[in-house]
Amino acid sequence: MTNIELQRLRMNHLVTQARYDLYTLSGLTDQSPQKQPILQRLWDTLSEIHFISEVLANQANAQPASHLTQMQPAMLAANGMTLNQLPNSTPSNDRTFTLEELANYDGKNGRAAYVAVNGTVYDVTNNRTWAAATHFGLTAGKEYTEEFASCHAGQQAILATLPVVGRLL
Amino acid sequence: MSGYILPPEPMTNEAVAERLTNAAVSRIQNGLIKKQNLIYLELNGCSGNIISLLNGQNPDFEYMVNSMVNLRYSNSLMASEGEQAMEKLLAASQDEYILAVEGAVALRDNGLYNVIGTLNGKPLTGLEAVTMLGQKASRILAVGACATHGGVSAAKPNPSESVGLQRVLPEKEIIKLPGCPVNPDWFLGTLAHLLLYGVPETDNLGRPLMFYSTLIHDRCPRRPFFDKGIFAEKLGDKTCLFKLGCRGPVTRIDCPTRQWNGHVNWPIGANTPCIGCTQFGFPDAMAPFITYDTTRVVKDE
Ligand code: HEM
Ligand code: SF4
Repeated sequence: MTNIELQRLRMNHLVTQARYDLYTLSGLTDQSPQKQPILQRLWDTLSEIHFISEVLANQANAQPASHLTQMQPAMLAANGMTLNQLPNSTPSNDRTFTLEELANYDGKNGRAAYVAVNGTVYDVTNNRTWAAATHFGLTAGKEYTEEFASCHAGQQAILATLPVVGRLL
Repeated sequence: MSGYILPPEPMTNEAVAERLTNAAVSRIQNGLIKKQNLIYLELNGCSGNIISLLNGQNPDFEYMVNSMVNLRYSNSLMASEGEQAMEKLLAASQDEYILAVEGAVALRDNGLYNVIGTLNGKPLTGLEAVTMLGQKASRILAVGACATHGGVSAAKPNPSESVGLQRVLPEKEIIKLPGCPVNPDWFLGTLAHLLLYGVPETDNLGRPLMFYSTLIHDRCPRRPFFDKGIFAEKLGDKTCLFKLGCRGPVTRIDCPTRQWNGHVNWPIGANTPCIGCTQFGFPDAMAPFITYDTTRVVKDE
């Protein structure tokens, strides 16, 4: 695995963390004492995202020909959140996958774990419910539109919390 | 047991369990609550739950049997055998009783894959017994994975067509104590609660919240490693076991604080991943229990 890939994974992890925090914050009352530590952690998370993006940018300058991922502004995680001003970007890209390519991202041998739902490819490598790249009998690297519809009907918010890595052809 | 209990009163699991049982026993002795009958059925399973229960402390199982309830039938613990035991079961079913069931109900061939005794020269299937006893029971406890949702007995390809208790008693309220096996405290604590205060508060799957409310992952001592992305690569590593297949992040139960074998240790404390044994759908939904090829990093691909 390349250095860039590792940094991307780390970024995805941070973004997921930040989204969870935002989600939690959206449910807290104004006076809640829990707010302060979460805001502190969000601040730290953003600093680290900033740092990693600087590192990535440096590498991009060093090797301009590489097929580096293109940063895009992310959709906000859960509904009802209007914190657009936060620099909450995810390293999603225009990458496209065939089913065969997707099958490589099965979470084995240190590879990332991706799954596709409704044509979008998501990163579940460090999602807590996908330990060892498996999830209630499902294994990563596959297309699971039907499974998602039958197991998580009406839970589109779940998909919004997952980092997007590309589209399925 | 009114108001809050504050330190310096001990707050350990042992102390909490002891207070609960002492309260139950003293109320029984003072005639404030009635000693109830308990029928404990073992159906299609491995008897692992009754063995686990014998490990109980404060109250230990014998003490519980003698002081909290009248144990009227338990095929592992009673002295009677054969037709005599079956007669005891029938006699017990004439009175009011709490029914506890471990093991799944085998449906295949009218239940013939699980026969628990002989009555009037004919085999008595688990299916018949539980249908009959379930209708009349004052309370029903499903003990362990098999009784709550089919568990190991119902794992693929499920040759005996085993199902959980609720499937054959769809109308009945059943308190569910999943786990493979059940921890003695979950069973004895629920029973003591039943006697003292009635049915404990449960989640939408019927599991008592006092034991099954919190994710293992949220109380795991290795959680900081998870948050930092530092993962164990083999059994014995002291970091987060997520990449080896730890099911703590989806499993709601109190193992991290309760612990096993007399509150001594628990799987993650013993360096092995949580296999999600209190999860509905265990074991199939929680497989694989351990995976090594996620962390074996290969050279630049
Ligand atoms: C066989 C079908 C499936 C079953 C039975 C299933 C089951 C579950 C269950 C029980 C949970 C709740 C875990 C908990 O919070 O304790 C969960 C969460 C989750 N599932 Fe699935 N799932 C299925 C398919 C999928 C698919 C195809 C995806 C692909 C994206 C997916 C992604 C997720 C995610 C990301 C969560 C975490 C949600 C959160 O953050 O709370 N699941 N799933
Ligand atoms: S060892 Fe398991 S329960 Fe503990 S932090 Fe890691 S994934 Fe969560």
